[in-house]
Amino acid sequence: MGYNWNWGIFLQPTATGDDTYLGWMFYGFKMTIALSLSAWLIALALGAVVGVLRTVPNKWLSGLATAYVEIFRNIPLLVQLFLWYFVMPELLPEALGNAFKQTNPIMQQFVASMVCLALFTSARVAEQVRSGINSLPPGQKNAGLAMGFTLPQTYRYVMLPMAVRLIVPPLTSEFLNIFKNSAVCSTIGLLELAAQGRQLVDYTAQPYESFIAVTIAYLLINVVVMSGMRWVEEHVRVPGYLGGK
Amino acid sequence: MITMNKVSKHYGSFQVLADCTTQVHKGEVIVVCGPSGSGKSTLIKCVNGLEPFQSGEIIVNGVSVGDPKTNLSKLRSTVGMVFQNFELFPHMSIIDNLAIAQTKVLGRTQEQAREKGFKLLDRVGLRAQAEKYPGQLSGGQQQRVAIARALAMDPICMLFDEPTSALDPEMVNEVLDVMTELAQEGMTMMCVTHEMGFAKRVASRVIFMDQGRIVEDDSKEAFFEHARSERAQQFLAKILHH
Repeated sequence: MGYNWNWGIFLQPTATGDDTYLGWMFYGFKMTIALSLSAWLIALALGAVVGVLRTVPNKWLSGLATAYVEIFRNIPLLVQLFLWYFVMPELLPEALGNAFKQTNPIMQQFVASMVCLALFTSARVAEQVRSGINSLPPGQKNAGLAMGFTLPQTYRYVMLPMAVRLIVPPLTSEFLNIFKNSAVCSTIGLLELAAQGRQLVDYTAQPYESFIAVTIAYLLINVVVMSGMRWVEEHVRVPGYLGGK
Repeated sequence: MITMNKVSKHYGSFQVLADCTTQVHKGEVIVVCGPSGSGKSTLIKCVNGLEPFQSGEIIVNGVSVGDPKTNLSKLRSTVGMVFQNFELFPHMSIIDNLAIAQTKVLGRTQEQAREKGFKLLDRVGLRAQAEKYPGQLSGGQQQRVAIARALAMDPICMLFDEPTSALDPEMVNEVLDVMTELAQEGMTMMCVTHEMGFAKRVASRVIFMDQGRIVEDDSKEAFFEHARSERAQQFLAKILHH
């Protein structure tokens, strides 16, 4: 097909001369991981709170949580990203908006991307948490309350420990999604893995090598996340319950 | 100890409880029976406020259950409850099931709570299972643990919501034996059950419900020998036949 394969390209110095092309890839890889992990931690914390609120008897709280989920789950990720990056700084109080605009551009891109991914994913995590809680036998809540636990204690000691165990598999797929979704952040100029792949193509005219390398890097992340989550799943398994020993 | 006065509850236009009035004195064992859907379970769930009711009042040990100012958690910690489906906490070992509310609700130390837990497990014959998990026990064993868990809180009375209905027939007696022993020790009990043998042995009174109403509320002798209502007679004729 007349394509000149050249895997050696990765070891060559870049056109700007400050690094090798492999170094660029590695920069993007680190960026993807830092962005996704920080957004994931925020998404887990927020999602847990919102998911719990969706199941509480108080109509105001659960209504608020439902609105949150519907907003962040139903606006396309790309649109949300543009809103956070281009629109939000203008809506902030002027001093704060200006402070944001004066920070390092990479920092601006990173923060906007992190907030966007975190909130988008938190809405999805919240839905998993809610479905986990709702799939518990209804008597469990009554049993907790009947022992004299308050409602928050019943969540803390009775319902959440089981609900969280039930949702480890769907959470794994959300965790994988956040890495894949992070590629969208290349659209605002953040040099994460996918963006570095494109940049390599522009500089080296070696698209196959570049995107094969990008693919392998994403696969690697995938494998690590999957095995990590499988380890978690096995270690929280309850004896005599759902396939436990 | 428990006083109910004209307790009524409805979901929309459907009347679940209608003007239920009765009293349970200290040391009494009340058996609540009746056809399914007659409101038996709802009635005893009202006693510890797990089911809200719209009118009437329930006083447990001097505290009004329906009063919004009542600290329901505190009240519930003094009223033991045993459920049809056991409802042990599956992610905790048996001994932790018995200890957790003692430490988190009553403020006992972990050692006190475990010691009390082991004593009660001894009493229901399950000391050897203390470190196992609920999913590893049979239904009968789980229900005995559930009774022990309720007793760990030193309740002033116990509520049983069809404690043997979800059990294999072989396991019914081990649970009834524990309940009988408890009754003989003078525990105040309200039991929703279809076990008429149990009722005949230990009940002080039998309450018969139909369509949300307390139709009969009488001594067990009076109930079994000459139930006044036709509905109770039909019910007894059907379930005492086998």
